[in-house]
Amino acid sequence: MFNYVIRRLLLMIPTFLGATLLVFIILQMAPGGPLEKTIQQIQMGSSQGGGEGGATSNGSSGAGTLLPKRALKELERFYGFDKPIWQRYLIWLGVWKREIKHRNLAFKIGDIEVKKNMGKRRYAYVRKNGAKLEVYDKEGNISKLWTARFDMDISDEEITNFDELKNNGELSDISKLEATIYETEYSGVLTGNLGKSYTYQQPVIEVMKPRFKVSILLGLSGWLIAYLVCIPLGIKKALSHGSTFDLISSAVVFMAYSIPGWAFGGVLLVLFGGGSFWDVFPLGGLHSPQEIWVNLSFFEKVLDQLHHVILPIIAWTIGSFATLTVLMKNSLLDNLSQDYIRTAFAKGLSEKRVIWVHAVRNSVIPIASGIGYIIATIIAGSYFIEMIFNINGFGKMGFQAILDRDYPITMGFLVIAVIIRLIANLLSDLALAAVDPRIRFK
Amino acid sequence: MNNQIIKSESINHKRWRKFKSLKRGYYSFILITTLYILSLFLPLFINSKALVVQYEGEYYFPAFSEVIPWVSTYYDGELFGQDIPGAANFRLLQKSWEDSDNWLIMPLYPYNPFEDITNNENRMYEPPSSTHWLGTDNTGRDVLARMCYAFNISISFAFILTILNYIIGISIGGAMGYFGGKFDLFFQRLIEVWSSLPLLFVVIIISSIIKPSFTLLIFIYTMVNWIFLTYYMRAEFYREKSKDYVSAAISMGQSHTKIIFKHILPNSLIPVITYFPFSIVGGILVLVSLDFLGFGLAPPTPSWGQILYVGLSNITKWWMVFSPIMAQFFTLLCIVFIGEGLREAFDPKIYSRLR
Repeated sequence: MFNYVIRRLLLMIPTFLGATLLVFIILQMAPGGPLEKTIQQIQMGSSQGGGEGGATSNGSSGAGTLLPKRALKELERFYGFDKPIWQRYLIWLGVWKREIKHRNLAFKIGDIEVKKNMGKRRYAYVRKNGAKLEVYDKEGNISKLWTARFDMDISDEEITNFDELKNNGELSDISKLEATIYETEYSGVLTGNLGKSYTYQQPVIEVMKPRFKVSILLGLSGWLIAYLVCIPLGIKKALSHGSTFDLISSAVVFMAYSIPGWAFGGVLLVLFGGGSFWDVFPLGGLHSPQEIWVNLSFFEKVLDQLHHVILPIIAWTIGSFATLTVLMKNSLLDNLSQDYIRTAFAKGLSEKRVIWVHAVRNSVIPIASGIGYIIATIIAGSYFIEMIFNINGFGKMGFQAILDRDYPITMGFLVIAVIIRLIANLLSDLALAAVDPRIRFK
Repeated sequence: MNNQIIKSESINHKRWRKFKSLKRGYYSFILITTLYILSLFLPLFINSKALVVQYEGEYYFPAFSEVIPWVSTYYDGELFGQDIPGAANFRLLQKSWEDSDNWLIMPLYPYNPFEDITNNENRMYEPPSSTHWLGTDNTGRDVLARMCYAFNISISFAFILTILNYIIGISIGGAMGYFGGKFDLFFQRLIEVWSSLPLLFVVIIISSIIKPSFTLLIFIYTMVNWIFLTYYMRAEFYREKSKDYVSAAISMGQSHTKIIFKHILPNSLIPVITYFPFSIVGGILVLVSLDFLGFGLAPPTPSWGQILYVGLSNITKWWMVFSPIMAQFFTLLCIVFIGEGLREAFDPKIYSRLR
């Protein structure tokens, strides 16, 4: 058993890498990414400002952009697009050096060494050696902290012989050699750093935390209610198979299956949200507006929150209602026609005991294996319900991130979702082994 | 002498008879099939173009041009002596010709799903009335017309999607189970990766990059969705392969192709067939969800999800919430009934109860 779990955990690693790599590539190769979006915004801004900015920025990179080359490069660096895609993925993972705290410096004609103030009274001495740059600290040792490189579009040979070429009157459009000095560190998913959100200007983890709590709260309560309703209902339906109660409740189950939870939430909202019908429940959000919320007593806060979450939780429950009920019913029916039930009856056990101790216990097995699935849907299922009820949850955040091209959040969402799914799959297998003694993993 | 051989009833015939005996599923099947076939000729029932026009002794059939693909659908207003720029407005023509020799017959419901406020007398957010049975939407388009066209698109989408998924899933899954080895291992890893991804999220990412057309959306969704059936078929083939009849066929020297297609495939299809209607339900739901989020078919394609989105962003316009949800609800309910009947017919379970 222990070995099995270890093996499953190890197998998760390539799966995780494969899944994230796939989406990473799609995102990075996509046209219209955050870089292009920002460039567009800057251009819109400058064209509204009278087009003056466009005229002065000579040396713009012919691709229709009005940005100076230098700014474009810095933007590219900010979004990480200055590296090949495999390096970007490794950096994102945290197994390749990430460049941080960039500073610009320049070598004029004749410069061999440039002293750069790195803040906090620290100085770096950058020395030109051919087309490479070496960084020394105050004592004259090679710096472990900083690295530097040229940031030019000319060949290495031209950089090496820059002074000569310049004296010969060549390279007239370049006045100095521009370079970047930066620190490096290993920081990525594996070190717990999911990056910084472009839109919220906050670390991704900080953005996700409160939203994740909201989704979990909603998901768990929806899940609990679904189980509390569906298991007894399924049992009752199986025991009275073919009766009027069974037929009527079957009709309800079919209807619930034919309407997704979020669409049902929409119906509830139109009916009870105070549009054209009754004004019973609020239109969305998790609690009343902040100015009312802060003045409420604890008890009122609880009531207010309940008032807000009732509709979303109903919608959430409807989503898994049909499947769970039918699963429970069929599983119990299956068990009731088994031989061991016949044996139990033949032994003279009471009907109550046969059903509740023998049959029901075995019928919960398939439901137990659904636990992983349910955990996974806490993320996916919350998606639409959060949209409809305007709840700032995890799913809505992920969706908004796609719209905003906020890649750190998108990838962060994906990482969490993938990890949850992987663990959920393992959990459902383990749950299955826990309730069904016939299943043994090796 | 009586040479007639009494043939026993074939299994499929039995299943069909059983399916027919389950009234709920059978009538749903007839209803949905009829509605879908009718919906292929929707331009003849719900259209702003006239069915027949008789103008100064000549006959025209404008509505039929939309059913026949190679005929131009454009009819200029001047052709019928109408003094408006651009295409003819047949509803106005009908009014103005009341006392003349010219006449025309409009379809049952004389609005099409694309004409908005820019066209003519249409207004935004009209509640249901005798002219617009289900009201109009945020750009003045008739909701009923859009709903009906969306029915056709939804079913077609789900149907094509399911068929593609089945073809890919069955062939790859079957090959995995039958041949095993490296091929099997490779796809198993792939499936694992796929099943750990939040697929709808991935589809949304992709369609936020490329605004997909009908075919492209089907392609994208097939790419992420084919994998599940694969896993199922693999298990099924794996199990069947170890059975005696397959060993017998192999020892008789049958080719792989023959064993796969003639022996194993028919035996492993039943669960897949009974799952078919539910797969269609899934396809319709996906389209509605994607359209609702704005990542489905490109506008102005009529779609339930898009109407629902408009309705839910204007909560007082209840007709735009109820109509798509009801349409979707009844369609799905019928398909679920079909699925239930099919399951009964193909995979009957008789529960015995001891008391």
